[in-house]
Amino acid sequence: MSGTMKETAADTRPDGVGTKRRRSNSGQLPPGATQAVPKRPRVSAATLGIPLAYLAVTVFGVWWIDIRPAAVAAGFGDIARLLERMVPPTTGPFPDLLALTLETLWIAVAGTGLATIASVFLAAAASRHFTGPRVVRWLAQGIIIVTRAVPSLIFAILFVRIFGLGPLAGGLAIAFHSIGMVGKMMADVFEEQAPSPREAIASVGANRLQNFVSTTLTRALPAVTSLVIYRLDINVRASAILGLVGAGGIGVALQTAIGSLNYRRAAGIILVIVCLLLILELVAYLVQRAVAEHADEHTQSQLHVAGAAQADPGWNRSRVLRTAAAVSALMLFLFSLSQLSLNPARLGQAWDNAAALLSGFVPPVFTEQILLGIFESVIMAFTATFFGVLLGLIIAVLSTRHLIRFEPLSLTLRAVVVFMRGIPDIVYALIFVAALGLGPFAGFLALSISCTALASKFFTDSLQNVDPAPLRALEATGAGRVQVFVSGVWPQFVPSFIGNSLFTSDLALRESAVLGIVGAGGIGFLLDESVATLNYQQTAGILIGLIVVVVALESVARWARRKVI
Amino acid sequence: MTIPERLKDSGPHPLAHQSTAGGVSAASTQPSLVLRDLGISFGSKEVLRDVNLQVQPGQFVALVGPSGAGKSTLLRLINGSHRPTTGTVSVLGVNPGTCGRRSLQKLRTRVGFVFQQFGLVGRLSAMENVLMGTLGSLRMPRYGISTYPRQLREKAVANLERVGLVDQRFQRCDTLSGGQQQRVAIARTLMQDAEIVLADEPVASLDPSASMSVLNTLKRLSAEDGFTVVCSLHQVDLALQVSDRVVAVRNGSLILDTRTSDTSEEALRAIYEKAKGARP
Repeated sequence: MSGTMKETAADTRPDGVGTKRRRSNSGQLPPGATQAVPKRPRVSAATLGIPLAYLAVTVFGVWWIDIRPAAVAAGFGDIARLLERMVPPTTGPFPDLLALTLETLWIAVAGTGLATIASVFLAAAASRHFTGPRVVRWLAQGIIIVTRAVPSLIFAILFVRIFGLGPLAGGLAIAFHSIGMVGKMMADVFEEQAPSPREAIASVGANRLQNFVSTTLTRALPAVTSLVIYRLDINVRASAILGLVGAGGIGVALQTAIGSLNYRRAAGIILVIVCLLLILELVAYLVQRAVAEHADEHTQSQLHVAGAAQADPGWNRSRVLRTAAAVSALMLFLFSLSQLSLNPARLGQAWDNAAALLSGFVPPVFTEQILLGIFESVIMAFTATFFGVLLGLIIAVLSTRHLIRFEPLSLTLRAVVVFMRGIPDIVYALIFVAALGLGPFAGFLALSISCTALASKFFTDSLQNVDPAPLRALEATGAGRVQVFVSGVWPQFVPSFIGNSLFTSDLALRESAVLGIVGAGGIGFLLDESVATLNYQQTAGILIGLIVVVVALESVARWARRKVI
Repeated sequence: MTIPERLKDSGPHPLAHQSTAGGVSAASTQPSLVLRDLGISFGSKEVLRDVNLQVQPGQFVALVGPSGAGKSTLLRLINGSHRPTTGTVSVLGVNPGTCGRRSLQKLRTRVGFVFQQFGLVGRLSAMENVLMGTLGSLRMPRYGISTYPRQLREKAVANLERVGLVDQRFQRCDTLSGGQQQRVAIARTLMQDAEIVLADEPVASLDPSASMSVLNTLKRLSAEDGFTVVCSLHQVDLALQVSDRVVAVRNGSLILDTRTSDTSEEALRAIYEKAKGARP
């Protein structure tokens, strides 16, 4: 191999295409004949530099957070002692817990519904195809970027100040943060559509709204439904912890239980949260599968049967199901809105509170403390992502059949991951703060667990979806399992590994910004304190700093993904 | 129907057009389409120049010419999707290049457009796609067949029957064949009661048999309803079979305008051959 490389290197042309003398059938080269030889691909600076930079940040993070093996070992001892105090779990008065669980659901449903309605308009205005005033498009894009950058728990802190304690603040917090993701993804769906139906309907003289509903929204409906269900799943997870800042839901009970050192009840509540999330994940999966099957081309040719008259569409099973699903979703949304304790007196007061809060934002104050807090959040997120991705990769490799084919191990690991993912990060943070004390170490551990769970889920899905044809071809050549993995599986997996790692780090950054609310390091503590002490100028400074950092790091991640993949 | 009754009674219109290239005698009726010294440039690239054309009601005009000659741009100028750089367009007495958004929408309700890629919403039924042709005359957005007035629904069924697809009216469009989809698109323009139909390579994505069927449908409907058709085509044999008049464009200029009976397949093929020869 190296000999060939040396031989061809001498013939390499300046334009980068290597040539070597062409051999005849007998192995001899005809005089003057040459053959193009691809130049050995050069590893770009970005491909090497980006992982090295990430490693350097992690090493710095290990030093900054003071992660020492001895401290970790001692920490596990403390955590184990705390867990002992959680056994056996109890739920306390069950009707109260049930009411709070349902409130959690209503917050998530109302927030998701409100976000969906707002996102349709924002996404339409933010999409490349928007033909209205440019300033409207910029405004829509700005709202989407800002709402995506601010975590729902931070919105909840602000809305509790405006609307008071309770589910209304929670529902709105969920709605505002969801607009960022749902709006962005919806705009992407709109932009990916082929332009021809839109042009055709414009050519019949339809106005912009008619055209949007008939072509753009209609075609996007299956994707939007799937997206909304996915977001609802995330929002139930988020609304379960909003109670920690007084924004309603089951988190209120958890906060009270931990605050009063009733760890057995806290464990019971955590188990209820995990069960609720697992059930909803299953429901979301089943609904998404049904939507995907319906959306697939050619799955169902006859949309309606003929009705009583020739021009009337009749009712078949599919139409009944679709209509029933749409009506149920609408009723559920309206009912959830009615559960948000919305009343005119409260709204009148909210107006004054919002005016006070917003006027208090000006001028924003930026202090060294704020910079340090945001910096700590970023370092916690990056370091935790590094360890999470590493552990997630090991779990994913062991959970799939490429290297180890031991079914009980694979099933156990998957069950552990499902359970780990069921517990929100801030709940881990609460437990670690209770066991290890305040500070970024507790936050780092909480984030590491959630990153591990998230990354292993992404990686397992990707590893399962690699194209089996090249693997079978390699096996047919007599290659061993490790060789097949290195040469067949890994090259296919790398793009999704990089993409999902960056996505995990993106999510970790948003989460690390709120862990400080329970004392687990980062900017969250300062933010919570600034609102509680009515220091709104500092709140504004933190929010602006956070938005700038999140948007900047998102851009860096996008650039890195482009460079490395 | 908004087409005057006298046009319906007279059947397909005789070749009574006035032309700068063809030199055919003047017509007594008001022309459906008049292009005067029309030109358009995109940046420094001149796509069409000095195009003069007059089309009388009921004519079936085949627009031929090699790819990149400017046929689609010409149709889009007529439809108001592009604004001319020089010259004027008059469609049914209205200049789409200067009218505002509302007036353009109003004009478009009278001008049908058939696209190469059909422009249908694949996951909806044929009937709902056909009903979308009436959106220009309705106020509010619509979703679902039942949201359209009964009268329009009955008209949609009648138009689907005219294109031979009444049995497939509740079938999802992406499960129809290419030829069937294009006939749904034609039924959509019938819903507009269009006085002129522009067709941009309507059979380019279809096999020869489906192409013939689609063009024959368009020809028959044009004869029955008396609407004008300007149809860009690459298949010169089809152009000769269905059209009353052939107009050829090459390198942005109109180079031929003649009765179909006065030209031949060889003459039209020569336009493509010359274009090939002109390329470096």
